[in-house]
Amino acid sequence: MDKAIMIENLSKTYKNNRGIHDINLEVNSGEIFGFLGPNGAGKTTAMKIMTGLMKPDKGDVKINGYSITESYEKAMKNVGCIIESVMLHQYLSGFENMKLRARYFDVSDSRIDECLEITGMLKFKNEKTKNYSLGMRQRLGLSMAILSDPQILILDEPLNGLDVEGMVEIRNLILKLSRETGTTFFISSHLIHDVELTCNKIGILYEGKLLNIDSTDNILKNYSSLENYYLSEVDSNV
Amino acid sequence: MSDFRAAYINELYKISKKKKITVTIILSVLAVILTGIVVYAINRFAGIRITGYSEFPTLALSVFSYTLIPLFTAFVCIDMFSSEFVEQTIKITLTGPASRFKVFTAKVLAAATFIAANLLFVMLITLIVSLFINGIPTDLFKIILSYIFEFFPIFVFALMIILICNITKGTVSAFMISILVFLLLNGLGIVFSAYKSFLFTSAFDWYKLFLGSYINFHKIFRVFVILCGYGIMLFGISNYLFDKKEL
Repeated sequence: MDKAIMIENLSKTYKNNRGIHDINLEVNSGEIFGFLGPNGAGKTTAMKIMTGLMKPDKGDVKINGYSITESYEKAMKNVGCIIESVMLHQYLSGFENMKLRARYFDVSDSRIDECLEITGMLKFKNEKTKNYSLGMRQRLGLSMAILSDPQILILDEPLNGLDVEGMVEIRNLILKLSRETGTTFFISSHLIHDVELTCNKIGILYEGKLLNIDSTDNILKNYSSLENYYLSEVDSNV
Repeated sequence: MSDFRAAYINELYKISKKKKITVTIILSVLAVILTGIVVYAINRFAGIRITGYSEFPTLALSVFSYTLIPLFTAFVCIDMFSSEFVEQTIKITLTGPASRFKVFTAKVLAAATFIAANLLFVMLITLIVSLFINGIPTDLFKIILSYIFEFFPIFVFALMIILICNITKGTVSAFMISILVFLLLNGLGIVFSAYKSFLFTSAFDWYKLFLGSYINFHKIFRVFVILCGYGIMLFGISNYLFDKKEL
């Protein structure tokens, strides 16, 4: 199976000694990988390095075989992402924000409308984003991420700020994209239930260290719920 | 190349959508008209000839090249760099398919485009105002040349602000330090006048070298080389810092 994402010995330490330490993992094409961990575990740090927003102290990330530090453009060509909360240009409308990303991929206006429709933002497309709620910003961020029809989606806490209905919609969207287009997902979350329902492979990050990686099916064979598995892994490694 | 083109168009688009551009246009028009009225009044009523009417565009340039043009340039550069990092909107651009070098160069080119457009706009207004004062300027070629050459020192100034933006963490600090550095460099030029020619701020009025009857090409070349040196150095350091910047 093709390796969509390869993380090798990835380390990054901040001045306060927190960060991530020697993370190694692989995500195959078409998988929905859940990066599970509490707040401050280092999920966002890893994802920032994966998308080139940060440089690692050690190690590398390869996306579709290309190193993010050495061949950024090739690595990111087929990647869409949301990192932390979605920050938009507030003096622009939702559509205009989308247009900024669309220019890189030569995407038509009708495709922008299509993505806005998928995330339920079409009716707000001409509103300035300064009036958007957190959930609306998150939905627009998702629209931007899927705009170029990428092979890989890296989503950091994609359900942040969404109401229950929104969470279900986005979860279904992820499953649909995975099923219909074979999109690979790398999703970080601290919402165990959502990870359990969405992801087919799960890695647990705790205090900057990757404790374990296993398929959701395997985990649920041995544990009654993902929560139990998570607590057991954390207990045995602390 | 298409990535670079997209990044450049995006930067121009963002600049054009900011309210500061409307303010720039309004203030430029008002400032030129006000300067025109003052010049006209002094010439006509005080009997002091501070300029021939045909020189009004270059007189206005000598005023604006130290005031409004650097100020507007500073606003645009700080918006493009510091504001985007503070508001984290830069993530949209940096997680796109263009490399940081392309994004940085696109931003610098957009700043250069803004400076050129601002100078062109001021030149056109001053020409229109001078028409109202005393007909068509006689030396249009030299006026155009003055505005074209003013682009270079202002562009180097923009690169200096971009460097400051990449060192500082906030928009206010970037703005304050830019003003302080601008004043400091001008002050140093006055105090150490023997070394003035090594400071790029002293080249803000270098277009005057073309205006006289004798044109010193040697001096023009020397100033141009100094400006190029500053430009390459500031671009290189700023690009390095931009590339290393983490979010």
